[in-house]
Amino acid sequence: METGIRVLLLSAVLALGGCASIHHLFHRHDDTDAQAANDSASADNDAHPPRVIDPDVERRKIKVPQIRSHNVEFGIQYGALSVENFGTNPVYGFTAAYHISEDFFFQGAFGRSQAGRTSFETLSNINLLTPSERYFTYYDLSLGYNFLPGEVFLGRKTAMTSSFYLLGGIGSTDFAGDSKFTVNFGGGYRVLPTDWLAVHIDVEDHVFQSDLLGVDKLTNNIEATIGASVFF
Amino acid sequence: MQRLPSVRCLLLVLILATPGLCGAREYLQVFVVSPYLELHTGPGRGYPVFNVVDRDGSVDVLVRYTEWFKVRTERGVVGWVAEADMLHTVLADGSPFTFNRGDRAGFTSHRFELGMFAGTYGGATLISSYGSFSFNSQLAAEVSVGQFLGNASNGVVADVGLTHVFMPEWRWSPFVMLGTGVVHTEPKATLVQPVNRTEQTAYVGGGMRYYLTRRFFLRAEYKSHVVFTKLNSNEVVDEWKLGFAFFF
Repeated sequence: METGIRVLLLSAVLALGGCASIHHLFHRHDDTDAQAANDSASADNDAHPPRVIDPDVERRKIKVPQIRSHNVEFGIQYGALSVENFGTNPVYGFTAAYHISEDFFFQGAFGRSQAGRTSFETLSNINLLTPSERYFTYYDLSLGYNFLPGEVFLGRKTAMTSSFYLLGGIGSTDFAGDSKFTVNFGGGYRVLPTDWLAVHIDVEDHVFQSDLLGVDKLTNNIEATIGASVFF
Repeated sequence: MQRLPSVRCLLLVLILATPGLCGAREYLQVFVVSPYLELHTGPGRGYPVFNVVDRDGSVDVLVRYTEWFKVRTERGVVGWVAEADMLHTVLADGSPFTFNRGDRAGFTSHRFELGMFAGTYGGATLISSYGSFSFNSQLAAEVSVGQFLGNASNGVVADVGLTHVFMPEWRWSPFVMLGTGVVHTEPKATLVQPVNRTEQTAYVGGGMRYYLTRRFFLRAEYKSHVVFTKLNSNEVVDEWKLGFAFFF
């Protein structure tokens, strides 16, 4: 009985060993297949290089928003101009400025007025100038300097920046049929209700040499204006 | 007809209000990398600090006025930050926030110049201004317009030409000029009625520029104009002028 069991166990061990051999044989065969497949793939790769993966995602274009600048200023002004010996009359004008720093700005100005009559003309009832010669037209290029910057308060919640400024420059004045080299200087006060809008009050003197009334002398022509300007 | 002035007033208000009606726009966002960022009440060194933004906080840059930036914090507080402080901020990707500054490097290399001069043109007093566009740090195209006011004649002169700057990185940097232009002369009335005339010119010249501070520099120059007259010989006019200019 015991011998029969031993024979049975031995047979089972041999049978398992044979199966393992057969499995190993088959496994080796699989490896051979895989190797063959790899060889085939290598041949294909040699013929066609592998494709680079091309992700279907577009690169984001980051657009940095532009910063607006408020350094350029255009304005209009209206007021009174006292032309020496010719009375005080309304004047209007235009200005353009570029703010270089918080202290300095560069300004070009143009203005026009019509001079009145001298006392000599009134008393003697003659006209020294023709109507077209009475136009007083000037332009100037000035450097401005801001000083005493501050704030203006309207009630508890509104504050507006403000500044006084000095102006000085050179230009030309067309009056009485002649153009004269002119030096201008003066000052003003500016209040900004918003970042882009300013209200100005200006007083300036336009000085030039004139011999219109027989004596060659410096004439002072003082102008006082109020104006508004827009920053761009 | 009586309503016309009010219509004009309305139009004027609309025109003046246009810059403020630009609507919603996207603003540049920058992040603070210094311990804090100071906000001033106005665009000037004298305006007090009323708020700060801590490190890693962000602000939207609303507008720039000369050396100051108007910003809005995450909490909606609006104030002004100095240019020097804005250098300590970065963009969303971590790169430094850079911008055009008016300094010595800008003097060496910039795109535009504007300036004004006083001087003489053939003995007459000259008022002049110019603008230039730089192709690189040494070569620029220039346009200048001037008015001369003399005892014998008045007139206008306009030039266009090229300027070459030697050593643009030097504080004192010399330059040479070459170009062409026109001169319009209005002789003053004498016994013989004069005739206004417009003539073409060509010029060669040179000068010196000197960096002052910020965006400012002084500029002195000389031009020798050849005026192509209708006479047997051309006329030579000397122009000397001194002025200041700024770049941007």
